[in-house]
Amino acid sequence: MEERVQGSKWSRVQGQDTGTLGPSNPRTLSVIGHYARAIWAENIKEWKIELCYKADFARTLVDPVVFLLPYLLYGVALVGGRQSEHLRELVGTSDIITFVTLGYVFIGFMNMALWAMGFSLRKEQFFGTLESVFAAPVPRWVFTLGMACHSIMHQGLIIGVQLVAIFAVFSITVSPVGILPSLLIVAVMLIALYGIGMIMASTTLIFKQGWIVSEILASIVMVITPIAYPLAVLPVFMQKAAMAVPTTYGILGVRHFLLGEQMGFGIGTAFLRLGVLCVAWVAFGLIIFRVIDRYTRRSGTLSHY
Amino acid sequence: MGFAAGARVIRAEFRKTLGIWMAYPIFMFFWAIFPLLWVVPFVFQGKALVGSMSSPAFAQLTGSGNYMAFVLIGAMVSTFVFSALWGVGNALREETYWGTMEYIIASPTHPLVVLIGKTVAEAAVATLMACIQGVIIGVFFGVHFTLLKVLPVLLIVAMVMLGFYGFAIAFAGFTLLIKEVHGWIHTLEWVFFLFSPIRYPVNVHPITGFVSLLVPLTWALVAIRGIILLNGQGVSLWQTVGVLAVMDVVLLAAGYFAFLWLERKTRKDGTVGMH
Repeated sequence: MEERVQGSKWSRVQGQDTGTLGPSNPRTLSVIGHYARAIWAENIKEWKIELCYKADFARTLVDPVVFLLPYLLYGVALVGGRQSEHLRELVGTSDIITFVTLGYVFIGFMNMALWAMGFSLRKEQFFGTLESVFAAPVPRWVFTLGMACHSIMHQGLIIGVQLVAIFAVFSITVSPVGILPSLLIVAVMLIALYGIGMIMASTTLIFKQGWIVSEILASIVMVITPIAYPLAVLPVFMQKAAMAVPTTYGILGVRHFLLGEQMGFGIGTAFLRLGVLCVAWVAFGLIIFRVIDRYTRRSGTLSHY
Repeated sequence: MGFAAGARVIRAEFRKTLGIWMAYPIFMFFWAIFPLLWVVPFVFQGKALVGSMSSPAFAQLTGSGNYMAFVLIGAMVSTFVFSALWGVGNALREETYWGTMEYIIASPTHPLVVLIGKTVAEAAVATLMACIQGVIIGVFFGVHFTLLKVLPVLLIVAMVMLGFYGFAIAFAGFTLLIKEVHGWIHTLEWVFFLFSPIRYPVNVHPITGFVSLLVPLTWALVAIRGIILLNGQGVSLWQTVGVLAVMDVVLLAAGYFAFLWLERKTRKDGTVGMH
């Protein structure tokens, strides 16, 4: 009985949510408060699960450094040192260690969108809690936003450790003036990545083994994103495809602010394009998720494995 | 349990593992093609840093300035080797996910026999994928394989795989103990990427050069690249085979005993059914 009353209360709140949204409406504020609590609860739940496996958690902090070193050493093997004259001609900086390190930091953000969120619903299936999550009286995007919230925090921690380790070993020099604008462009990029993450999360509902879609997309994005090279070395069709990927602007922008890389377009243009991508990817992500969510419910395949 | 019964279990496990592979055909496509795609950023990185497809500095370290062929061969061999880690090392964890782990443990079959079945199936799938990758590399990237080159390469690959299966079996025991190993396998992959010449010549730095000597994959890759890219110049095939044989014996024996110990410990602790 209590559940029914609670359920009907939620239905009313959600029903009003579609009609009279506005900051002056106290019920809207109440709904936002409920959603914020759900997002925070999802974030805390993920932290609790991760911290149950302490050794595994420690590993996630060390991993990115181990992952990065072969790319740096490969660069050193190619040019026979740390400075590349050809890179200087292309982008205006010759320090391959700083250039590649700043690029690979963004792998973590891509992983957040393509992996952490994409795999989130599959993990709930493994745990046997997907149906419970879906029966909760909050929209699904709130659940994935909670996952994104956790991922951003975790990735921030990972990137911090990665940067400290690389700075300590390779004595990287960056422009301190560029730190704030770099954080700003990363923040805008994260919003756009959330949209991509929504699409990835929905693939699990329809394909079940959705990680393969994440992996395929991550592999393609890894190639077209200028992580360890400038856009200029890519074939033209890849350069055009890279323009639709938020991390392209994130990487180029951060390297521009911290290292003085020539982007090929202005800072204003970078922010404007990133803003457009935010709107486009988030809208697209929400629509795709809604369509797939409704399809799996109607076809009765939600609980299929 | 007799030999015939053991063989039946291995055959059943082989069929089951292949059945699971066939249930998701996209996995086959993915693992055959995408490891080669992961090489592409290295090629673009090379173009950005040296401006051409050949690097004199790279040639000084490896004998060949063709860095694309270097990383392609590394990708092909590492796909093979890592299939052991994913397929065998992670096998028991997957049984936990599927809810079938307790049945395996409770059945009158030693889990090691089940693991051998999985090993054979994974080896078959990995061989198929390596063959597809070999064809792609040969046709699209101009790396030529002749029978004279392929035969010694196959011998070296077989030797390195034997040792890796020993390592993977030990790792499967490790999964019984610590449960969540998906991330650990990734870490191991990256450790191998760092301490064996899969993606870069390890002798570029004295520490990586020294540590990598303890990894069988280093010996195998140096010999394989020597055979394919340098027509066997500077490759002592029998010395490589001898070193790999010693490493295989050590890894197989260590893997076997480590698995037995870890499995017994997990049973005694009563943590087999934990997630």
